[in-house]
Amino acid sequence: MSKFFRRIGRYFKEGFWGVVRHGAMALSSASAVTITLTIISIFLMFSFNLDQFTREIEGTVQVSATLEYECDGEDELRIRDAILKIEGVDKVTYKTREEEFDYFVEMYDADGKAGLREIYGDQHPMHAAYYINVTSNADLKMIASEVAKIEGIYETSYGGEGAVLLMDALDSVRYGGMILVAALSALAIFLISNTIKLTIYARNKEIAIMRAVGASNADIRFPYVIEGILIGLLGSLVPVGLTIFGYIYLYRFLGGVLLTQMWPLIAPHPFVLYLSAILVAAGVIVGLVGSFFSVSKYLRWKR
Amino acid sequence: MLELKQVSKTYKNGVNALYDINLKIEQGEFVYIIGPTGSGKSTLIKLLDGEEIPTKGVVDVLGINVGKLRHSKVPKYRRNIGVVFQDFRLLERKTVFENIAFAMEVLNEPAKVIRKRVRQVMNLVGLDDKGAAFPAELSGGQQQRVAIARAIANKPKILIADEPTGNLDPGKSDEIMVLLEKINREEGTTILMVTHDTVLVNKHRKRTLVLEAGHLVADMTEGGYFSHE
Repeated sequence: MSKFFRRIGRYFKEGFWGVVRHGAMALSSASAVTITLTIISIFLMFSFNLDQFTREIEGTVQVSATLEYECDGEDELRIRDAILKIEGVDKVTYKTREEEFDYFVEMYDADGKAGLREIYGDQHPMHAAYYINVTSNADLKMIASEVAKIEGIYETSYGGEGAVLLMDALDSVRYGGMILVAALSALAIFLISNTIKLTIYARNKEIAIMRAVGASNADIRFPYVIEGILIGLLGSLVPVGLTIFGYIYLYRFLGGVLLTQMWPLIAPHPFVLYLSAILVAAGVIVGLVGSFFSVSKYLRWKR
Repeated sequence: MLELKQVSKTYKNGVNALYDINLKIEQGEFVYIIGPTGSGKSTLIKLLDGEEIPTKGVVDVLGINVGKLRHSKVPKYRRNIGVVFQDFRLLERKTVFENIAFAMEVLNEPAKVIRKRVRQVMNLVGLDDKGAAFPAELSGGQQQRVAIARAIANKPKILIADEPTGNLDPGKSDEIMVLLEKINREEGTTILMVTHDTVLVNKHRKRTLVLEAGHLVADMTEGGYFSHE
């Protein structure tokens, strides 16, 4: 058992000194990781927020159908069933006249609210309404006109089609970003494995001696793998800092929203911590994969 | 302890390196292997330390069939064999002490054991006071002593010296020979020494194997340099 711990201890010691001894080289591949992870970080911030906007907007894109004043309970049920039969309708919510009025009144400040209530009392002009949530990709215009044909419907309206188009456009930007991130990760792995390859080449005398005295492949390989992981960790420091402080700064600077109240940003806590965890994990994985491959390649050529 | 039975080796590129070698070496022997360049000396060494697999025949070392050894078992087997090279192969950025200790560290020996054994072998090779020196500060002969100390640090049963005196002047070569004889005597290590040095072979007479074009053409227990021209 003590031999096991000695072995693990030596792997870490050698890996650590490997980074120190080949400082310049380690730094150059760490900076490759840094650039990649920074771009991944920006991409993730963008992507997660976009996800949030999309969900937000999908929630608000709905067709509203107001009912004639004469509709009674029976009519309402009939209309509801008719709406649900239309293709692309996901969910229907009923709002009474009073609820509609309350919602309208809520938009004003305290004085306005009191004024409105005083003027209208119970005699307000609001209609009872159905709010129709549609499935994604559904044709809003078509659904609205279908609903308008149902007897007892006073008026239909919908909004947010432009927003949906914008989301689609941003979605394609996101796919492009994903490809960019994948390509950059591959590049970082390549750079790390190249660095490790160079350090191994510089130390092939050491490795030859290790082989000659009968060190096992694991004994030779693991210090390098740990060196790679350390380089990955080193490279993730700056992106993690940028993510945490950059996002918090940006959030405060923009007042928690992007352009309009319609697009609230994700609150920094704990979002930045999740992002940082992802970045650190990505750095470690990139370092591990890069070093593992390059050492394996060098150990295979001989028995 | 070391036996080759009808061993032949043909490399993948078609080069025949060894033909039908039969050989037996006992524990504690000191044997020269001589022969011109390309006679198969290096191949013989590679077969012994498990780097190459014989095309035909059996290489038996310490009861282990080396040719049949699985890849994962080779490192452990190799701990039985110490190797000294013509070009020393020391690590320039480590001190003499660290160079010797390195061979034991990579086998995950405890630090206490390492310190003790390193001092012991440094004494054996006559470099007691050079522990803190770097290889570049030493003469060629001293560097080769460090390499020898490193090779025997893990107490191998067999020490293979591949032209250990090839880069040294005659006086220093003689000292290395005396040292190898001392190791052979005091540690009981079997020593196989590949050499071109006729003077040494004639002066320190030992069993001598002569290889030529892949054939074992002579095995002289009496020693002395062989020339059939």
